Amino acid sequence: MRLIKSVTLALVCLCAAQIATAQNGPLRIEITEGVIEPLPVAVPDFIAENPAAQDVAVNIARVIASDLSGTGLFREIPHDAFISQITSFSSPVQYSDWKAINAQALVSGAVSVASDGRMTVKFRVFDVFSDTPLGDGLQFGGTTGSWRRIAHKVADVVYSRITGEGGYFDSRVVFVSESGPKNKRLKRLAVMDYDGANLQYLTDASAIVLAPRFSPAGDRVLYTSYETGFPRVNILNVGTVKRRALDVQAEALTFAPRFGPDGNTVVLSLSQGGNTDIYKTTVNGGDLQRLTSTPAIETAPGFSPDGKRIVFESDRSGTQQLYVMGANGGEATRISFGKGRYGTPVWSPRGDLIAFTKQANGRFHIGVMRTDGSEERLLTASFLDEGPTWSPNGRVIMFTRESKGAAGARALYSVDITGRNLRRVSTEGAASDPAWSPLLK
Amino acid sequence: MKSGTYISGIGHGFFILWALFGGFFLSTEKPVPLQATDVSLITMAEFAALTPPDVPPVVQFDDPQPVEATPEDTAPEVAPTPDEPPVLPVPDEVAAPELDVSPPEPEVAPEPPVEDEEQPVIPTPPVLETPPVIAEPDEVATPAPAPRVAPEPAAAPEPDTEVAETETPPVAPDETAETISEETPATAPQEAATEIVTEAETPASAAPVRSMRPTARPARPDPVVAQDPTPPSDAVADAVAEAVASTTPSPPARPTGPPLTGGEKEGLRVAVQKCWNVGSLSSEAISTTVVVAVAMGRDGRPDTGSIKMLSFSGGSDGAAGQAFAAARRAIIRCGAKGYDLPVEKYSQWQDIEMTFNPEKMRIK
Repeated sequence: MRLIKSVTLALVCLCAAQIATAQNGPLRIEITEGVIEPLPVAVPDFIAENPAAQDVAVNIARVIASDLSGTGLFREIPHDAFISQITSFSSPVQYSDWKAINAQALVSGAVSVASDGRMTVKFRVFDVFSDTPLGDGLQFGGTTGSWRRIAHKVADVVYSRITGEGGYFDSRVVFVSESGPKNKRLKRLAVMDYDGANLQYLTDASAIVLAPRFSPAGDRVLYTSYETGFPRVNILNVGTVKRRALDVQAEALTFAPRFGPDGNTVVLSLSQGGNTDIYKTTVNGGDLQRLTSTPAIETAPGFSPDGKRIVFESDRSGTQQLYVMGANGGEATRISFGKGRYGTPVWSPRGDLIAFTKQANGRFHIGVMRTDGSEERLLTASFLDEGPTWSPNGRVIMFTRESKGAAGARALYSVDITGRNLRRVSTEGAASDPAWSPLLK
Repeated sequence: MKSGTYISGIGHGFFILWALFGGFFLSTEKPVPLQATDVSLITMAEFAALTPPDVPPVVQFDDPQPVEATPEDTAPEVAPTPDEPPVLPVPDEVAAPELDVSPPEPEVAPEPPVEDEEQPVIPTPPVLETPPVIAEPDEVATPAPAPRVAPEPAAAPEPDTEVAETETPPVAPDETAETISEETPATAPQEAATEIVTEAETPASAAPVRSMRPTARPARPDPVVAQDPTPPSDAVADAVAEAVASTTPSPPARPTGPPLTGGEKEGLRVAVQKCWNVGSLSSEAISTTVVVAVAMGRDGRPDTGSIKMLSFSGGSDGAAGQAFAAARRAIIRCGAKGYDLPVEKYSQWQDIEMTFNPEKMRIK
């Protein structure tokens, strides 16, 4: 009885204390549900500070707006909705005019071109509803011929200041450009800006080329060439377009190469005597080291960003699945357990996710999972999706999609890791096997 | 006599308790086993997705060697020909898609490369007829999203429709009616999951977007205790004292009157969350919970200068800054016209702490 009295008294006191606290403090509410929609951003034309900068000032603003809108995270406000115009880079911003059209971010800038062709681009980013600039103003310098790169760099800064994560616009993509009918397809290595501009061919169509992969610095490309009739890993300098075969066992077939994070180490698949295993070597072909030794097919190796682990695919369990092992080989841990086959794993630059291709129920998917195989999410589904590659910030995945039918063509697509913003990447003709470079220096 | 009554009462009591609960505790009967069959409902779109629409090309992950079909792998495959490896000429074409390089083996190769157009004829892969498998939730591909994701989907409103929380059909004057009904504008929820109304179609608001925060009432000066009979009058000292008194912060006003009802709190919460856009936040920022304090004016508008972050959890300083910026924008944007709060309870909501917890938004 005494115990019941004590408990009752304590509960009464607790309730009284709660009520007293609730009445004395501020009103407290918790917001758990929001909206997910593109952030409205205003990108007025940059101010041309001299007549020579007139065209490039407009073009730079257009590329910045295109970069931001292309992420799916931003929505550009049409210029005809503007209430006020930016007439001077140094004049104060009329925040109320931009609030009235619901612009939540504003990018203003100015361009000047000197007589020697040097160009200076300066810009500012504003948080309209906070009435404050987002960081200090910045400026980039370069030649007028590099205006697109400068625009991408500005867009990277804007993206970073608003989202809090790095951008990916000042980057390039190496891929296999395809032409000709489907039964007689010609393939060439090509490189372009991430948005499809500045296309440049690296090889001719005399031999089949496959699976190009950028070095961590973006200056070299590893790829597989059938120049000799059999697959051999080659290395190509992007600047000079000079290439050579990787000096690994001449009698063996080598393919599926990928750089290590140090830029000197290479992992690849080597097939010899009917068995395919994973090997590690250097860009000079020396110090060949066997990492797997099973009768199964082990291929598509790729390093983790810290270089300590390697993810690869193997059919040692009977179907193609994903495995992770140490950088020097050893026991591998299977990480994929879903229905279907998994292949072409690629470690995210952030190190937290692994992208892969999955084939199940007659369809192909691009998906991501944690590095331990948990939280698998499929981002796409189509007749044929394959070969994912990560953007430098680990936010976007580019891959190859092929449409069905005899006239089916291959094209590059990109998708946000949330599964949103699936869109086709602009290329000249058919394209496949993309590999995203790191951010350019 | 009493003993007999007690014994009888206790005995009856035990009997009644046994009758009520004895069977419950002592029952050894096992429940009748039931046969249960899992049934799942799928939409037509999911069913279509599960049904192979066409014979897709065979894809080998980096290696052309065939893989035995398993019941769970319904995709067609290249028929394996391991016993009679063909002699492969130089490959010059690609016939089938591949995920990576597919090396053709030399004369000793056990099977042909998928890459080789010149290789022997690859029989058309059969489609394995298997019953449709209902995909696990994590295996369902995410559909292409709408530009706006909100808790409740809403169709695109008519061009002249005003955005409001509830849908109201337009009422137009009826010439044939005896009574003339007043024309009211149509209202509808803000469009979600279809397309976004451009700013060009959004009328600019002429209402002020900022308001000054009411100044605190000066504290009443303490009564002067006359220790000295006639203290000398010092104008400077008086001015300083007055200034100090005017700048001394008054103690936080204790809310008086009835508290906000649950519905009023819910209304405020819904109003703020409509403007809380987490779509442009980084992965880390969308894992960060921030607690934001804001002072409100009597007109229901937030004092933008008073908005500050009290605490955060789950992310770095940078991520907290991004999360706070999104929360701040939400409070200001949706409060530009004033939140619908009862003026008579102003003391209850003049200071508000809002916790922005994006946990539910991470999985959308």
